[in-house]
Amino acid sequence: MSSAPLAQPKPDWSRLVSDSLKQNGLWHTWYKLVEARTAYPDDLSLRGYSEIVRNAIVRDLLQHPKGMQAVPKLSPEFLTNFDRFNLNAQEGYLVSLIDGRLDLQKLVLLSPFDQFMTLFILAKLAQERAITVP
Amino acid sequence: MPTQRYAIAEKLNVPIAVVGESGDVRWNNEAFEATFGDDAKHWLKEAARAVAGERGWLHGFFLDADEHRSTDVEIEGRTYRIDRIGNPSDFEDAAVALSFEDVTRQREMEQAKSDFTSMIVHDLRGPLSGIQGTLEFVLSQEGTRLDAMYTDLLQEAQRESERMMNLINELLDFSKIQSGNFTVEGEPVRVAGVLKRAVRSLQSVAARDEIFLLNAHGRDVPQIIGSVEKLTQAIINLISNSLKFTPKRGLISVGAQIVRTGELPEAIVITVTDTGMGIKAQELLQVWEKYKQSGNKSLRGGGGTGLGLYIVKQIVEAHGGEVSVASIEGVGTSMVLKLPVKRAA
Repeated sequence: MSSAPLAQPKPDWSRLVSDSLKQNGLWHTWYKLVEARTAYPDDLSLRGYSEIVRNAIVRDLLQHPKGMQAVPKLSPEFLTNFDRFNLNAQEGYLVSLIDGRLDLQKLVLLSPFDQFMTLFILAKLAQERAITVP
Repeated sequence: MPTQRYAIAEKLNVPIAVVGESGDVRWNNEAFEATFGDDAKHWLKEAARAVAGERGWLHGFFLDADEHRSTDVEIEGRTYRIDRIGNPSDFEDAAVALSFEDVTRQREMEQAKSDFTSMIVHDLRGPLSGIQGTLEFVLSQEGTRLDAMYTDLLQEAQRESERMMNLINELLDFSKIQSGNFTVEGEPVRVAGVLKRAVRSLQSVAARDEIFLLNAHGRDVPQIIGSVEKLTQAIINLISNSLKFTPKRGLISVGAQIVRTGELPEAIVITVTDTGMGIKAQELLQVWEKYKQSGNKSLRGGGGTGLGLYIVKQIVEAHGGEVSVASIEGVGTSMVLKLPVKRAA
């Protein structure tokens, strides 16, 4: 006789995410949440916690003193060691737009992705040091 | 059911009965006998009957045995709130223990209160619309040279009138929910359009408060069946709420993700996420309840009715969806709505 599967106990995301943010920072927590989403695809609150962390990442980019008028530039490392950066198609497209003159506002307008996604990809490129936002 | 429970139930003044799936009374206390007598046989049989495939209210008490169930039922001209106080698993053969409370007077009072609120709110909206229109007209006159102080005062009056209109609208929706007149139309809804419209309508408020308000969804969000007006209102309520608790240079994003079963979209998950002060863990479960307001103080001044999120939950549930919330103190809050993608038959 087979027994009914036991319901998986729901982790305390609030505490886990809060602790991870304190110990490991935004990006590490974000990658952990991406993994967790695969294990708990139907967990609505987990989606909420992922969004909170994504929001905090983009907010940090926008905290630049020039805000949306900040102008990203390709980093010297990216220009000299392009192969080290394993960019996906979206990242590659946005990198191709960065010319040292277009500010965040204009990049958001030119990008085929939504406003938030564009800024998130730019934040990721900055975190990986493919671009700098001086 | 244990014998001592029968002994206690026997002594209570509340009508209690143990009823089988076909409406047969297996046991009842004296209060039940005194209130309903032999008439119970008739309406319990009706409650168990299936008409055109729809089973009567009694059937519901045999479902979801682990959840508490309560329902209002009209019995011979009076309204009774029926609560399940014993589950089918408590009995050897399928039966439930039900208690009956006469709430006729209470429901009449609630209806009267709701009708009165609805009438007052309608009467308030007319003159307030006039005030808003006048302020908008005066402030839009480019040729008029108003002293900066007067412009500031007029803008303040405009902001406060907007706030008052929001409060009135919330009260009106609440009275509709209470009176059972809250229905959802079955029109096709372009969710991406709803989100864009909601963001656009509050973009100027966000800009004034120096908050970034961004769309976080593509154009490929599928349509759902529901009410454009009510869903727009739900998203506006959520963004307005975030605006109250997000500091200057903070960020609010409005996103949509598609949940798929194979190739087909099954549901849309909408998120309104802010970098505000967050909600305490012990308050999280209560945010969707009526009259519940965060212990945090609004950064923009002025309180609300405490009905905004309750109305959002009602709108989402009327669309067959569900709500959730995530929050980390000092980092932000995300309100999550899941709406099923229904297809035309």
